[in-house]
Amino acid sequence: MRPVFDPFVLPFVLGMTFVLLYCFIGMIRIIWQLPKEDRRKFGRSLITPKTAWKNIKDLFGDCLFHVKIWKRKPLLGYMHSSIAFGWFMIIVVGHIEAFALSPFKGIELPFLQKMMSNLYMTIFFRYFSLEELTLKAQILSFLMDFFLLMIISGIIIAVVKKKKPRQVGLKRVTKFGIKEDLVRIALWTIFPLRFLAESSMAGFAGGSFLTKYIGFELLFGGNYNESLSLIFWWLYSIDLAIFMFVLPFTRYMHIPAEALLILLRNAGLKTTEPRKGYALAEIYSCPSCGLCIDVCPMSENKDNYKKTAVYFMRNVRKKKRREVKKMTEICLMCGKCVEVCPLGIESINIKMAQRSKIYYKLKSDFSYLEGRQTTGDGQKARAKVVYFAGCMSHLTPKITRSMVKIFEEAKENYEFMDINGSICCGRPMMLTGKANEAKALIEKNTELIMNSGAKRLVLSCPICYKVFKEEYDLGGVEILHHTQYINELIEDERISIDRSDKRYVYHDPCELGRAFGVYDEPRNIIDNIGLLTQGKSDRDMAVCCGGSIGSLTMTLEERDEITSNSIRDLMHNNPEEIVTACPLCQKTFARKSPIKVKDIAEIVVENLE
Amino acid sequence: MKEHNVLVIGGGPAGIETAYQLKNLGFRPTIIERNDYLGGHLAQWDRLFPASKPADEVLEKMIDQIHDIDVKLNTKISNIVKENNIFHVTLTNNKILDFDAIVVCTGFDLFKTEKKQEYGYGIYNNVITNADLEKYFKTGKDERIKDPKRIGFVHCVGSRDVKVNNTYCSKVCCATALKQACEIKEEFPEADVYCFYMDLRMFGKGYEDLYLKAQKDFDIKCVRGRVCEVSENIEGKLVIKAEDTLLGTPMKMTLDLLVLMSGMEKAEGVEKIQNMLNLKSNSDGFIESRDTFVGMSLTNEKGVFVAGACTSPKTLPDTIAEARAAAVEVFNYINN
Repeated sequence: MRPVFDPFVLPFVLGMTFVLLYCFIGMIRIIWQLPKEDRRKFGRSLITPKTAWKNIKDLFGDCLFHVKIWKRKPLLGYMHSSIAFGWFMIIVVGHIEAFALSPFKGIELPFLQKMMSNLYMTIFFRYFSLEELTLKAQILSFLMDFFLLMIISGIIIAVVKKKKPRQVGLKRVTKFGIKEDLVRIALWTIFPLRFLAESSMAGFAGGSFLTKYIGFELLFGGNYNESLSLIFWWLYSIDLAIFMFVLPFTRYMHIPAEALLILLRNAGLKTTEPRKGYALAEIYSCPSCGLCIDVCPMSENKDNYKKTAVYFMRNVRKKKRREVKKMTEICLMCGKCVEVCPLGIESINIKMAQRSKIYYKLKSDFSYLEGRQTTGDGQKARAKVVYFAGCMSHLTPKITRSMVKIFEEAKENYEFMDINGSICCGRPMMLTGKANEAKALIEKNTELIMNSGAKRLVLSCPICYKVFKEEYDLGGVEILHHTQYINELIEDERISIDRSDKRYVYHDPCELGRAFGVYDEPRNIIDNIGLLTQGKSDRDMAVCCGGSIGSLTMTLEERDEITSNSIRDLMHNNPEEIVTACPLCQKTFARKSPIKVKDIAEIVVENLE
Repeated sequence: MKEHNVLVIGGGPAGIETAYQLKNLGFRPTIIERNDYLGGHLAQWDRLFPASKPADEVLEKMIDQIHDIDVKLNTKISNIVKENNIFHVTLTNNKILDFDAIVVCTGFDLFKTEKKQEYGYGIYNNVITNADLEKYFKTGKDERIKDPKRIGFVHCVGSRDVKVNNTYCSKVCCATALKQACEIKEEFPEADVYCFYMDLRMFGKGYEDLYLKAQKDFDIKCVRGRVCEVSENIEGKLVIKAEDTLLGTPMKMTLDLLVLMSGMEKAEGVEKIQNMLNLKSNSDGFIESRDTFVGMSLTNEKGVFVAGACTSPKTLPDTIAEARAAAVEVFNYINN
């Protein structure tokens, strides 16, 4: 008969109680901070069967397996899954084992101790378990050993990742301070200690291939030493306690926080405040894995890689105002970090919310909007399609000329809405956090478009496209970027194109590709015109051109470096011309590129039959 | 006394003057020029500021001085090897010549105005550059210039412009613009001529007089502000948007002709020569002088000298003065 209690369980019990309480209070706080409407939405989502099912699916798929890491870096995917899923299974199987074999069955315990024993009994099961080994116990022991081995294999990869990041396909990993190092060592040693503790007794208290044969027989030479064994159990418990006491103040807070984030996200919530509610859930969910470092266009620069999303999130968490402001303002908002984030943390939304809190001395004069008259009455459609070039396209007249030519070639009934100068779409204002100022512009443009009576809006600039898609309410007016529109014209055979064997490479503009997934339409168009070669990284991994209006403070030299890197990627397969679909990308590349840079509309016009 | 050979790379004003002075100092210079003519940009120009002196007159006089100097036209350098202070230079015709010193006089390229698409060069019919206009003055032929009633000059195209990576001033465009404005006004006295400038840098002898003359005698209207955008209306006329920064108002104007004052950039192909000679570049992309005060003609490489606009934008008088200075430096180098 084993004892029902030993003092070594106390550190663990205290740690566990602390972490549970902390997380519970934290969760209440985050939910409390949500805007009223969001809170209601969240409540409703929990009882809606469809979202509830999605919640369960995502909790498993994301927290335990991290499907997104598997897709990009299988080895790291295994590392995370083996630790997260393995640990989860040890808890689950541990509970089954405890329930099925119930070592404390029939023992009357005082209430408090009974509560406590529920906490520690499964964790230290082997210490308290019965000696006899039934088949049921053997199967369960085998499973426990199997998952323990799985976790240990994951930890080995984690050690390699830390010491030699290139071995697991990373150039840079996040750098940490002492607190984070401590908690990492605590985590890494939990399972080896568990292995030692369990092995030390596996001769007579359960255990399977790992703990019994490798551990007890080989490592301990088949001898049971009571005091040595107890030392391991103490170390195991203390290690767990250290981990749990430090967890809320370190990146491992992502373990509980992520579960909440998934629920909030599935409820359809978005960041509204820079450090409250949803944003706070995201901040605590950041595991500092650093996958966003290598993909950030800034990290090619050795001074700037510490301004990437992971460092930003950490500084927001630590409330380092000055650093946060700097990182918020320099970001290009290209969205690559969001794309690779295994947790889908939308750090650029937090940056946008941060920007809305920064005071910029800007004098906005919107008096000119008064003078812009609408000529239609909104009832009778003057044209089927209204074309809005936007200010950037007006600075690249080759694009607007090409579009006019394409409209004419397709015999489209169209209206060039801003032929005499555009009213800004509002995106630059949004990017400086001036949502209210942007509103004035958005309202005026909406009025002009609605009065045209057209049913479709064609845009040449992805910057406009983003804000039109996200901030405009145009009723039933369909919003298209010209890549989508031209692709449709080609598919409907409204324009015909001569194919040549010229080699093109396509650059995905951030606000068209990553923001809205418009990847195939431009590629279809180029396939109709010539040979499409591939850049080194394209589609969702395309590198920002460096010209983004997203950054408010990046210097020209820093931008140039990014532009050169992006061009180098595009030149990977020796194309003859770079094609893009954004006037700003075109302009940015044109000043550094060794080959011609054209908008997709230009090459369409060049190759019209 | 042994005769020393000196290579002069480039047959523009800097190269010609350097070679002439080297000869006077008792050396045997050789000019290598990639084009089939001497004179570089000067050969393309019609008249020179500030007093509209014919460029041909100046150039002819300069070329006359070097009639007995070895000039290799249509020739480039394919390799340079330095050995015991002797430069073994391989030319594109595979000849190898030995030199005791090299003077780089590779000059500049005009900024490619197509890069600033918003000005519409190569897109709209009536947008030309300062070089196009000189050519028109020289030949009287340009289809784009058809009795214009309203003409605009845009200063600083490709100069002092971070957006095209050229943050420096090209030094000559202000005076050139006003000179050309007066000249085109002479040609089309009925036309209204506007100059859009950021600052007018009329620093040299006679430049300020030119500025006053342009306003008083030729009624050239100077507007302080950058043109930001050019488009074409239905009649095919140019519509420009600019800001009058003195009045603080945005403005829109219809024009028949727009002249872009293209600035100076480092010459294409110079990088190759820099690589052969290990010459550093300065922050503007031009070749770096060893010192901007007392070592203007020296480079980071012993035996290699520079003169003219290959180190930074320069006026013609500056270039000629530097060419002479470089010749003296070569003299000091060889005689020590």
